[in-house]
Amino acid sequence: MLDRIDDKAQQTEVVLSVSDLTRTFPGVRAVDAVSFSVRRGTVHCLVGENGAGKSTLVKMLTGALRPTSGAMRINGAEYDPTNPQDARQCGIATLFQELHVVDELTVLENLTLGMERSRFGFLVRSDLEDRVVSTLKAIEPSIDPAARVSSLSVAQKQIVEISRAASSGASVIIMDEPTAALSEREVDRLFAVIRRLRAAAVTVIYISHKLDEIFALGDFVTVLRDGKHIATRPLAEVAGRAALIEMMIGRTVFQSYTPRDGVGDEIILTARGLTNGVLRDVSFDIRQGEIVGFYGLVGAGKTEIARALFGVDRFAGSVTFKGRPVGNSPKGAIASGVALVPEERRTQGLFTSLTIRENIPVMNLRRMSRAGIYRKAEEIAAATDFVRRLRISTDSINKRAEKLSGGNQQKVVLAKCLFSEAELLLLDEPTRGVDVGAKSEIYDIIRDLADAGNSIAVFSSELDEALGLCDRIFLLFSGRLQAVVVNGPDVDVAHVLHVVTGGAEGTVE
Amino acid sequence: MSSIAEGFPPAAKNRDRRLSDEAFITILVGAVAVGLFLVASLLVPNFFQFQNMVNLVTNNWAVISLGVGVTFLLVSGNFDLSVGGVVALSGVLSVWLAQAAGGANPLSTGLGLPYPLAIAGALGGALAIGALNALFVVRFRVPSIIVTLGTMMLARGVAQVITHGSQRNTNLPVEFGVLGNLTVFGASIKLPVVLMAALLIAAVFIEKKTVFGRITYWVGSNPVAATLSGIDRARHVARLYLFSATIAGVVGVLLASEFKSGYSNRGTLMEFDALVIALLGGVAIAGGFGSVLGMFFGAIILAIVTSAATGLVLSPDWQYTLKAIAVFLAIMTQTWALARRNR
Repeated sequence: MLDRIDDKAQQTEVVLSVSDLTRTFPGVRAVDAVSFSVRRGTVHCLVGENGAGKSTLVKMLTGALRPTSGAMRINGAEYDPTNPQDARQCGIATLFQELHVVDELTVLENLTLGMERSRFGFLVRSDLEDRVVSTLKAIEPSIDPAARVSSLSVAQKQIVEISRAASSGASVIIMDEPTAALSEREVDRLFAVIRRLRAAAVTVIYISHKLDEIFALGDFVTVLRDGKHIATRPLAEVAGRAALIEMMIGRTVFQSYTPRDGVGDEIILTARGLTNGVLRDVSFDIRQGEIVGFYGLVGAGKTEIARALFGVDRFAGSVTFKGRPVGNSPKGAIASGVALVPEERRTQGLFTSLTIRENIPVMNLRRMSRAGIYRKAEEIAAATDFVRRLRISTDSINKRAEKLSGGNQQKVVLAKCLFSEAELLLLDEPTRGVDVGAKSEIYDIIRDLADAGNSIAVFSSELDEALGLCDRIFLLFSGRLQAVVVNGPDVDVAHVLHVVTGGAEGTVE
Repeated sequence: MSSIAEGFPPAAKNRDRRLSDEAFITILVGAVAVGLFLVASLLVPNFFQFQNMVNLVTNNWAVISLGVGVTFLLVSGNFDLSVGGVVALSGVLSVWLAQAAGGANPLSTGLGLPYPLAIAGALGGALAIGALNALFVVRFRVPSIIVTLGTMMLARGVAQVITHGSQRNTNLPVEFGVLGNLTVFGASIKLPVVLMAALLIAAVFIEKKTVFGRITYWVGSNPVAATLSGIDRARHVARLYLFSATIAGVVGVLLASEFKSGYSNRGTLMEFDALVIALLGGVAIAGGFGSVLGMFFGAIILAIVTSAATGLVLSPDWQYTLKAIAVFLAIMTQTWALARRNR
């Protein structure tokens, strides 16, 4: 199916274009009058900070969201997909971060999934199978079509998905952070696959935070910032990483950080040489009363550090908290005075089917019971107190947690951790999916806690959050701690972005 | 939430009077049970009698007892389908261990142990099944519905081997038939019913008043969050399986005593009845929601439906169909009422 077309001339033909594309959400213009076009047989990169509008744009291209206004054209025709099936039929396929393959089926069955021919309800063999097999062989000869998908690596599953897109005749394949879960060797193999697709006149829209990949692979780059289109250029004309970073951040990074007095001298936590599947020799200290930030992109190792400190995941290296090793289980960590607000609120933090009142006491059972008997009066008092202190907006402490808004749910999870009387709070993406008002309230709570002498570690993929809140920021890139930044009015934002996108420490081009 | 309520900080209200959803459902199920009883009283002659009310409970002591363990496990997010099999196994074991050695044929020959030892052995067998459940669910992380489906057949299978597919009822010591037929409170209520009542009270206490009870809800509502909050989930679920198996073991011993026989088909479908009454009582199949009291009312609802049908001289062939209708109606009512309340 992959006919080799080595004709460079076809790279001038426009395959996809958007004009004045706009999508608004209540209070936000997530994508604001964006226009650009993508040429056939190229790798077209899409870059921007978190919140720049990349994912909203992709959702409109794939039919998951309808534009508020504006138009899209593909292969010269009007394009207005109402759902992802529409998009696929018009020739746009998407490779999401979470893969859509069926583990229990073979590679071949996955490739023909949804395209099976049947007669009287029985499957019939068709030339379709030969076609998809030849596409797979052209893209990646080492994958056996008869193998079960569950036996493949993540990288191989990705390639199966790409083959499925290619054999269904997609003219554009959108890849969203495809290398987030891949090893270096697998990345090289994926790049080879992408180059083969390009040679066969398939267009790849490539979204990544890793600027090195973009320079290595891309033909064109489109930069988005705050929902607006900043530039679309051939990468050959972009003068290095620094130029690209400048386009991404502009000069508008909001700085609300004011230096705090509360940071003590006593070192409360020491981590040395943390190493596991993701982390590579990570060492750092946290002081009493300090707010430290761990800032990095998706897959940089933020969550893994939080989970290691909290005793969830195994690691090599050592963590001492107040002179003693922390336990190797959450239970032990909590007992020694560490609490975690996990990354995924609904699946890891909150007891959604229980009430606000019942959510709060779980991390401090010693305080909640006497000789095994539960002290309900204490529970009611604690819940009432936290609802008032954290301004959780509800008409009753007996309301189920699932009925609350995202911001209030996050406050309940925070209350749960505060009730544990921890001295070190690990907050993994504390404001993800939280509205602006609740966000600033949560920041105030964090500052108050630190002023009261608690230590806080914030794990964030939002630059504004790290720069607005933290006294020191640890910069992470692919499992390594690359640099430490002492926050202040003169922080070099470009340098921070340079480091977390994989640039060599200390050299800004 | 009204706009007025938003204007005041919640703590300004001196009392928070909102019922939790759980209390609401329990009251709803209780009200349905009472309502059904009144309706049945109107339709069925002689239904409205004190003795009949008592019978609704006493005739179902075994299933209600099993329902306690099953409810705790469901709330923790786990199934226990093995309880019926355990009833058969422990009953058969208690008979076999207590039968005198050297009988006329294999079915009348046992191990001749003293009856208390025979009971201990029977409970040991029940606990072994509970331990197997715990091992596979907790350690090997096999879904509980599969594990307990397996142990359900295993327990009954062992019972069948011991009884050669028949029953053992000869050569038993005199004291064997005492426990299950002992009556208290002036010859009207049997000991097993009293034990059931004690178990219910203890279970409600554990559920509402102890840390153990509260941990059950946390584990069932969100196992990941429970672990990340420092709860030892594995240990807790293991304890619940042992608890449920112990109840089933005792029920098996009492039933064997009542009938003075060990029968490998005893307790067939009891695991499903226990599951059904828990669901009727508002226990969520996904875990994290439900109560023992609700399960009790669920059992009453099922008992009323069954006995009213008999009273209406419907053929017993209609029993399952009626049960099915009752289950559908009850669960749809609950879903509807909860959705309406939380609108």
